Amino acid sequence: MSPALQARGANAGRRRAAGVWRRRLGAALTQLAIWVPLLVAAGNVVVFTLWTTWISFTASKLMPDYSWVGLRNYWAVTRTANFQIAYGNLVIFGLGYVLLTMALGLLLAILLDQRVRGENVLRTIFLYPLAVSFVVTGTVWSWLLNPGLGVQKLVQDLGWVDFRFDWLVQSDKAIYTLILAGVWQAAGFAMALFLAGLRSVDGDLIKAAQIDGAGPLRIYRSVLLPTIWPIFVTVFVILLQWAIKAFDLVRALTGGGPGISTMLPTLVVYDFMFQRGELGRGSAAAVLMLLSLVVVLAPYGIYVRWRKQRQARA
Amino acid sequence: MPVTTRRRLLAGSAAALALPAFARAQSEAKPRITAISQWSAGSDGAAISALGKVFEERGGIWQHNPVPGFTTEMMNKLRAQIIAGDPPAISQLKGPEIAAWSKIAPTVDISPLVKAAGYAEKVPAELAKSCQPGGHWIALPLQVYRINTLFMSTRGMQRAGITKAPTSWAEFNDTAEKMKAAGMIPLANGGIRYDDGMKFEIALAGISPDVYRRAIMQLDTDALKGREVLAAFEQLRKFSNVMNPNIAAQPWAVNLPAFVKGDMGMVLMGGWAQGNLLKAGATVADFSSGPAPQETGPPCFDLNADCFIFWQPKGADLEAGQKLFAEIVMQTATQEMYSKITGSIPARTDVNLSAEGFSDGQRNSAQNLRDAIAQDRVVLSLGHNMAQPNGMTAAMIDVLTEYVHNSAIPAAEGQKKLVEAVASAQ
Repeated sequence: MSPALQARGANAGRRRAAGVWRRRLGAALTQLAIWVPLLVAAGNVVVFTLWTTWISFTASKLMPDYSWVGLRNYWAVTRTANFQIAYGNLVIFGLGYVLLTMALGLLLAILLDQRVRGENVLRTIFLYPLAVSFVVTGTVWSWLLNPGLGVQKLVQDLGWVDFRFDWLVQSDKAIYTLILAGVWQAAGFAMALFLAGLRSVDGDLIKAAQIDGAGPLRIYRSVLLPTIWPIFVTVFVILLQWAIKAFDLVRALTGGGPGISTMLPTLVVYDFMFQRGELGRGSAAAVLMLLSLVVVLAPYGIYVRWRKQRQARA
Repeated sequence: MPVTTRRRLLAGSAAALALPAFARAQSEAKPRITAISQWSAGSDGAAISALGKVFEERGGIWQHNPVPGFTTEMMNKLRAQIIAGDPPAISQLKGPEIAAWSKIAPTVDISPLVKAAGYAEKVPAELAKSCQPGGHWIALPLQVYRINTLFMSTRGMQRAGITKAPTSWAEFNDTAEKMKAAGMIPLANGGIRYDDGMKFEIALAGISPDVYRRAIMQLDTDALKGREVLAAFEQLRKFSNVMNPNIAAQPWAVNLPAFVKGDMGMVLMGGWAQGNLLKAGATVADFSSGPAPQETGPPCFDLNADCFIFWQPKGADLEAGQKLFAEIVMQTATQEMYSKITGSIPARTDVNLSAEGFSDGQRNSAQNLRDAIAQDRVVLSLGHNMAQPNGMTAAMIDVLTEYVHNSAIPAAEGQKKLVEAVASAQ
């Protein structure tokens, strides 16, 4: 072989090697492009959750301080009146808000499902409150519900002097004003999901039921609602986690008052962390909130899994 | 067209490189201060801007960074800057929080400056103590407010046939009954937590400043369980019975128009209420103010004050700025100017308030402070975070605000809850 040929052969080999490397590099870059953002996105959630959990076991006050105190913060937080009232309220608010919102949403969806005129307009109107932020909702309702300025005064000025609607300033009833404002805001959302569900049901199914002689009530009860059962679960879970993380609504509407009667877990966390300068106790309250979310979401996860398995078997 | 030669390019880049250094050299010569406060608007904002102007006139660079909203939001900003290793040269802070925060970042000992100005003897001792947690001065008080102040509506008094402001709680309750009978709401109030805490502290300080000091400032269990604290809870219930029942989460100042009109009779509020009233369009003839009722002895002084803490600066310009700022803050002229804008009284007790620009309310309050210092009747405010660190204050106010808004809680139970709250927050 001539030296020139030899050189060409070596060149080709190099080129081939370079091509392999380029391909490998390309693959690595692709992997990098996928995994770096994924890990960063997942990491910042996981890392800060772990950090908060860690801080909840330390003596942190104004600043993180990593001396271990065990469960002391948890004992201290759960023993405060604020915390106990907050979780009692969460049960009342959570159940009232979720169940009433679903009931109202379903009712609206069924009514709209009757192919009424102006359905689009009505649907937009019912969905509209969802576009309003919780702060605005809370502030507006705080004026409407104020006995000296809002509904009570209006009705009294109209002539019903004895009319009373002063829940907002009653310690034992103020929590229901939160339900009222919350339902007003979310009912349209529940309606939209239910309506979409109702419309997705196969028309043949309904026709078959009609042929069998089922009336409209029977069709809804025995055919439509059981068919859209998964939507109920979805709406329930979405509303419940909204209820647990509710913060701005209560802050704007009652500020946790009268007194501390409308405290919610989120307010307790905020109060400990940023107003009392008790990072350890605030973190403990935050971890307890996370746990309460797990309690709600775990059964949902199990349910979803169970459904998948059943479908796979079917 | 100018030709870009290599030499010109070199000269230009050399100049560009030298510029920052040049700027640094210049600012080293000029005292500079970085400051955080919550005073962004209204009379507070105007006052701190005026202070900044004085600083600039004396040759300094004023870099103020206001964080509007509650004090706690300002503190969150401060915390973030401390964690980042870059605290401001000075920041607004007060009461026991000065001691608490001084443990988490290095501060500056300004005792020599205070000594040179002879400032220590001029400010109330209780206030001076809170500014030197480690035995030396790290913070400077600027202005003082009296919390236990009673404002009377002129028209309200006429309407209820009342000729003088009450000076004891019994008289106060009589006055309130008369106003109620005249169809008025006797006591204006806000629905925000500190408001309820403040009403309690005014009641207790009016019953006995000594017990207030032991129970609220020193958290003495016997004093907290004593009959004076019980009496304060009873008086607090009497307040809540004569307040506007329709106030939800609104600030106290929404009542001011009704107060001026005479539909509401009285306001228990710090001295700044005067500024709010005048700003809301009231004139000095529409209301009168004086110390809140006092059961025994001359009126005590329930003190709230604003201070600046001095953080360890980085750079000679900031050091020089801190020196200049301290000098300015301690000066009589500065404090006069500041109090005229905000309606407070100067932290210096030797300022003569007979000058034009001060009101009778401020003069009365300043005299009250001088007398109270002489008789050892100065106490620190609970509701405004002067008596206890934020965590303890919040725990106590939880109990007080719940008590105010739930008339089913008897006074004795309220007291018991307060004792428990103090124990669990310690």
